[in-house]
Amino acid sequence: MLSYILRRLLLMVPTLLGITAVVFFVMALSPGGVGGNLLNSEGEVESAQAQALREYYDRRYGLDQPKAVQYLRWLNRVSPIGFVTEASAEGETLGGFGFKAPDLGESFSKGRPVLDLYGEALPITLLLNAITTPLAYLVAIWTGTYAARYRGKAFDVVSGSGLMALWSVPTIWAGVLLIGFFANAQYPGLHWFPTGGLSSTDAGSMAFLPRWDDAGFARGWLLDRVWHLVLPVVCMTYGSFAVLSKLMRSAVLDNINADFVRTAKAKGLSGRVVLWRHAFRNSLLPLITVAAGLIPSLLAGSLIVEKIFSIPGMGQLMIEAIYARDRELVLAGTLLGGLISLVCILIADLCYVVADPRVSYD
Amino acid sequence: MTERPADELRDAAEHAGTGPAAEGPADPETGSGAVPGGNGGEALESRGSRGDEDGGDLRAEGTLRPRRSYLAGVVLRTFGRAGAVVGLAWLGVIAVFAVFGPWLASSHPYLWKVRTEDGSAAVSSPLVEHLGPADVTLLVLTLLVLPGLLVWRRASLGRRLGVLLLAAVVVGVSAWWFVQPPATVVYDRYRAAERAGQVEWVLRPPIPFSPSDRQRDRPEAKNLAPSSTHWMGTTVDGEDLASRMIHASRIALAVGFIATGIAVVIGVLLGGLMGYFSGWIDLLGMRLLEIFEAIPQLYLLLTIVAFIQRGPYMLYLMMVIIGLTSWTGYARFTRAEFLRLRRLDYITAARASGLPLGSILLRHMLPNGIAPVLVSASFGVASAILLEAFLSFLGLGLVDEPSWGQMLSQAVGAGGGFVWWIALYPGLAIFLTVFSYNLIGESLRDAIDPYTQKKAG
Repeated sequence: MLSYILRRLLLMVPTLLGITAVVFFVMALSPGGVGGNLLNSEGEVESAQAQALREYYDRRYGLDQPKAVQYLRWLNRVSPIGFVTEASAEGETLGGFGFKAPDLGESFSKGRPVLDLYGEALPITLLLNAITTPLAYLVAIWTGTYAARYRGKAFDVVSGSGLMALWSVPTIWAGVLLIGFFANAQYPGLHWFPTGGLSSTDAGSMAFLPRWDDAGFARGWLLDRVWHLVLPVVCMTYGSFAVLSKLMRSAVLDNINADFVRTAKAKGLSGRVVLWRHAFRNSLLPLITVAAGLIPSLLAGSLIVEKIFSIPGMGQLMIEAIYARDRELVLAGTLLGGLISLVCILIADLCYVVADPRVSYD
Repeated sequence: MTERPADELRDAAEHAGTGPAAEGPADPETGSGAVPGGNGGEALESRGSRGDEDGGDLRAEGTLRPRRSYLAGVVLRTFGRAGAVVGLAWLGVIAVFAVFGPWLASSHPYLWKVRTEDGSAAVSSPLVEHLGPADVTLLVLTLLVLPGLLVWRRASLGRRLGVLLLAAVVVGVSAWWFVQPPATVVYDRYRAAERAGQVEWVLRPPIPFSPSDRQRDRPEAKNLAPSSTHWMGTTVDGEDLASRMIHASRIALAVGFIATGIAVVIGVLLGGLMGYFSGWIDLLGMRLLEIFEAIPQLYLLLTIVAFIQRGPYMLYLMMVIIGLTSWTGYARFTRAEFLRLRRLDYITAARASGLPLGSILLRHMLPNGIAPVLVSASFGVASAILLEAFLSFLGLGLVDEPSWGQMLSQAVGAGGGFVWWIALYPGLAIFLTVFSYNLIGESLRDAIDPYTQKKAG
């Protein structure tokens, strides 16, 4: 088992290299190139000044070097083993070879270390996913089990096609409609939620928990956060019901037809006990094992939702980075995204072993 | 009874290509070839001259020998399901909009008689004069080539598709060459002429507004709610939403088909080679596949789209990019199928009899290994449409051309105002189209799944 994990981890290295290479050369070979919007963001700069600025950036980030050299330099900086580099206004100088701290660099457009930026954004995206996933599971497990229980009956057909329809609703449409009707001053009766963001502007001065006092009801930080998260979470959740529910349904169906359930029935157990204590538990296995594999697609899903509800998560940061052609941010984002996906796929594979003793990778 | 069944038999024999093998996974035991023996004669009797679907149903229940190729059977079973029929019906509507869009919604009159300044009156058809190469190509293909191919029953499905593709290329290129609509279009002039009383009579399309007609002569026409003049209201720029919706359906269909087509071709090629050769080609291919799978597709797509030059060919670039980033699933499925098929006896036989590699891969393995790809292609078209809508929604895709996603992005204005009709109709169109493809995909999946067939039977 350990050797299997080690092998998988080692195989991740070339894959990650490939990911960064694909993204880097897509950026580098595009007209305008890396940092192309850098000068535009400086506003009206005199031509001589612009020239000086460009030269400075070229030296500082090595943008005047061949693409392959730029890529290798970036790779060297990111990897935990390599040449120790020192960045200065004159460019990077290479030092001795050995272990060092990986350095994701500094964002062109924001002027801050990339790691800090993602350090702030990632927890928000994870929070969104941490709320969404259990919610999707709860609904899917419930509908899936009942759909299998009443197979071919009205509930099965209606829930099946209804969830399928929900799955087809484009997230951008759902987001726009939710914001338009439930977070809009045009419809005062329905103006229940904020248009976006994660907390109100005065959230910093709020108490943590809601309370009643002389001044009336104060919702507190926690409730404020929940209030802001309702629409994004709804928007992220509804799409994943269909797939999970279908999976649950077929798993329960498989188990209902299995021998051990027939035995349980033959023993005279009630239908309820047979379904919930025998068939249901075994049917959860496939759902548990797909959980980790679901995360990469949730990552992409949260990108859309973060954009629509202007939540400062990883997806939003990535979109900003792409608009600004910020090389360091984009590369670090894909590296992180790829790493998370790969780790999740590995965890999903390991879950199969844990969940099902018949599977073995040794 | 005399002519057609015989033709269809030949038809079936041609698709099946390899006789027994082509019956494939659905029913490996049956079939000593596509030509039926005594039993098959009865099948012909029972089927009579009508009802292809009847034949399909009977076969699905396994009471008769399949006379059609595996793929044709799958298609027949798929469209015997209610969901697929509903999906197909909506796609049919979209297809009509896509082909006849300029005839349904255009500021240019079909025909009009207008007096010029010197007093002489002339009849002309501005609509025909303003047709673009794409409009003409689609029209010629739909009205001339497609019926011809439907009538020409002797040819196999593959050959007919090939001819259609060839005709599309020929007609498209020549239309590009010969059809040159006026570069500058003044939409106001028809309304201006009418107001000036120069028009004797005019025959307009049902929706007399072009998708990019901003009605500069009617400044009050911006942001109008749906009414009898503007069935779905107007946009912030004063364009008629219904007209934009109709014209956008062509873009949605094209993006779905072409992007998925590119992805399927890449995926099937790579996956097929990986599956057939296995060994180190497989190893290398799998690493490449993992690389593309591990990058969240939206990230990669956004990166590429943001870093390329915007230009008049953005639509085609987007199709290519979506295609280039979504081939991995097809490669995986094809690889798995080919790994399974290459061990079967009929492939060994084909190899032993010295068939060239291309023939083994394309004629003998591909038809039997393509079914899972078809299922995921159907979902793939849906997701390609969603991706295009999302990119256009972000402002990274189409800007001037009508696209459902781009329209949806105008629903929430910069000032925070919300325009419900701009949010409702384009979103509904995306939803219905995606839903249709998903329904078809679902039916297709049920149709190729031997497990559900057994349960149904």
